[in-house]
Amino acid sequence: MRGGKALPLVAAAVFGAAPLVLPGWVTFLLTLAVAKSVMVLAIALLLRGGLVSFGHGMFFAAGAYTVGMAMKWGGMREAVVLTFLGVLAAAAAAALLGLLIARYRGIFFAMLNMAISMVVYAVLLKLYWVTGGTDGIGIRTPTILGVMPERESLRLVMYYFTLVMTLPAFYAVHRFWTSPLGFALRAVRDNEVRVEYMGTSVARVIYAAYVLSGALGGLAGILTGFSVGHIVPDLAYWTTSGEFVFVAVLGGPASIPGPLVGSIAFEFLKSYAYKYAAFTWQMTLGVTMLAIILFMPGGLWTIYEGLARQGRQWRLSWKRTG
Amino acid sequence: MGVNALEVKDLSVKLAAFVILRGVSFAVPHGSTVGLVGRNGAGKTTTLKSIVGLAPVLGGEIRLDGRDLTAVAPHHRAGLGLGYLPEDRRLIASLTVEENLRLPLWARGERGDGARLKLAYDLMPELAPLVRRRAGALSGGQQKMVALARAVVTGTKLLLLDEPFEGVSPALSRRLAEVIRSLQGVAVLVTESDANRMRLLTEQIYTIERGEIIQR
Repeated sequence: MRGGKALPLVAAAVFGAAPLVLPGWVTFLLTLAVAKSVMVLAIALLLRGGLVSFGHGMFFAAGAYTVGMAMKWGGMREAVVLTFLGVLAAAAAAALLGLLIARYRGIFFAMLNMAISMVVYAVLLKLYWVTGGTDGIGIRTPTILGVMPERESLRLVMYYFTLVMTLPAFYAVHRFWTSPLGFALRAVRDNEVRVEYMGTSVARVIYAAYVLSGALGGLAGILTGFSVGHIVPDLAYWTTSGEFVFVAVLGGPASIPGPLVGSIAFEFLKSYAYKYAAFTWQMTLGVTMLAIILFMPGGLWTIYEGLARQGRQWRLSWKRTG
Repeated sequence: MGVNALEVKDLSVKLAAFVILRGVSFAVPHGSTVGLVGRNGAGKTTTLKSIVGLAPVLGGEIRLDGRDLTAVAPHHRAGLGLGYLPEDRRLIASLTVEENLRLPLWARGERGDGARLKLAYDLMPELAPLVRRRAGALSGGQQKMVALARAVVTGTKLLLLDEPFEGVSPALSRRLAEVIRSLQGVAVLVTESDANRMRLLTEQIYTIERGEIIQR
């Protein structure tokens, strides 16, 4: 079996067995990292087209608040239905905003996203009677396919639920990247004028990527809300969006596993930095980012890619000599 | 369907504050090759760009098979059978040669090995060893060849070739001319600054100077 085909199986085995052998707090961090990796994937998707968004936290919040309000005001508890609703709401928001934002590029694209996310943040903050303002909304334990998880196994159940919900998101992005639209998105980053005269509408390509990334952002918000159990307006604050861009660069935005690797590394790095350097933990993150940019501009995933390349060369030379 | 694949009538183009083309008129009959010769800055590239839809038209008509293109979006024009080889020849550097060639087909919803792709490979068999290589890693001459192949893929009715011999070796110039001459059933409009090199391809030559056709 080739390395590329074995990798998803190895990853599935590792992620499937991890909570069975790791302590509970690690499982919780892993759940958060997996949930947030979908948001990082959404950022990576746009980066593939040369677009940076400093406002994608609004979709993160859109998904989370749709679930929060459906629970609070609608009395809904079923996680699968709530997830579907939240993703739909985030995708609808992206579809609407995309009509305007997909026309812009570069700094304007980044800042327009940020501006709108700050409007969303202010609305979540001020509409206290609906959103709970700075107090946010508590997310109650949902039922999963009609079954209420036991309190003792809740952490484990939420981990597997998050993992299962994440898989289609990664698969969807993989399909998108290997589809004509995905290739066109890469071409847009190189030169969008050329894409136009080859017969593809650049606006349509960017719009499709934007809507998909918005839906992914919504899913990430929902899964994060379920695992944390509480949502606040800060989800839409621009620093939250900036953090996701940071993680995308950390993991490596050019590959599908990069966002997951980056997200896991970031959650653990942040936790340990906060534990051992409580007053300077941001500095630890900053130094890490500097090191990544200087020594691994392709992100952490390039370590694996380098090793895999080395392994292939080693196998090839071994076959020749053997 | 009339005699001409392309008809340009009284075309005027203004870029920023400058009028670049003034009342340019010419025609490219079906299946023939027509040249547009002029010095640098004469308006050759702008003429092609306005046909492709990349330069705003101030006035006049551009008709492909009798259909006025002036109100048609650039990405729809490719779907009408327009193939364009830009002067800078550069491809989508991060994609492979094959992906570069397939992109216009995908834009038209074609998934399989299209007849045009096969034609491009048949015309330029030297592309075969390059298909898996990244376009950005090719030499200038190879990129020119791939860019021509990409234009052939979309250009089912009309090929617009902007200075195809610019910056390539004499041997490659001859090879490119051979490929262009071997195209059958497609109208070709070529620009060139050197009239002698243009005669490698055609004797039907228009001369453009300061945005006006001064000689046929």
